[in-house]
Amino acid sequence: MTTQEPPISLPAHLDPKTYPRTTHDAAKNIHLTLTYTPLDANTYLSQTSSPAAGANVLFLGTTRDTFEGRSVSQLSYTTYPPLALKTLTEIAEAAVEKHQLLGVSIAHRMGTVPIGEASIAIAVSWRAGEEILEACKERAEIWKREEFLDGGMEWRANADRDAEGKLKNSAAS
Amino acid sequence: MHKPPQFTIHYFAAASTYTTKNTELLPAPLRLADLFPELERMYPGIREKVLISCAVSLNGGYVDQNEAGDSGLGDEGGVVIGDGDEVAIIPPVSSG
Repeated sequence: MTTQEPPISLPAHLDPKTYPRTTHDAAKNIHLTLTYTPLDANTYLSQTSSPAAGANVLFLGTTRDTFEGRSVSQLSYTTYPPLALKTLTEIAEAAVEKHQLLGVSIAHRMGTVPIGEASIAIAVSWRAGEEILEACKERAEIWKREEFLDGGMEWRANADRDAEGKLKNSAAS
Repeated sequence: MHKPPQFTIHYFAAASTYTTKNTELLPAPLRLADLFPELERMYPGIREKVLISCAVSLNGGYVDQNEAGDSGLGDEGGVVIGDGDEVAIIPPVSSG
């Protein structure tokens, strides 16, 4: 009697009270979220982060203030979860397969999203990220100088150190 | 009193704007091939302005309008939308 029913024309998939809609595939470590609340980056990073992966990466897609020259005041998103979650699952599974991901989380915000806020968050845990990092450390022409509180400074050479930054005990050094 | 046979149709984005509805009930059964003509009858102009770029889902899976069964051989064959089914009109998507 006292509960306020939504208008009969509002189907469940447009009713924020029926959200968040989530799926989780534990075997593939895939998390999908459709939500009417602001996206919290740490939530999605922590869903996928793995100590076995060298790179735990977060992408935040934020709403822009112009579209083809017209100023945008805000954006509003709606979805049809039966199809959207199915399609997002296909996308996530394909990404896991193609990039050998240890985990992926895709979260999309629904409803009104003010300019500058995130409408989509994608977190991946990526073993290959470590390989690329190692290749960069080994070959890219970038130098690091450690500058100490006591005024001293020293140029570092990654070739002298292992992945953990410990000095290698090789005959060449 | 039995409920008349009917199916649910959901409209999204431009389809929702054009019909000014999010959802409604339509009489079942209806051949999938007759869906767009029926919507055009109800909402004149929608086919050209909206439906031409829309996909259709039936009970959570996409169905192909071109293979809807309109082989020119009358009303036999093809997908039929039945009582209790859920149809959605899916305009071009724009997430992100």
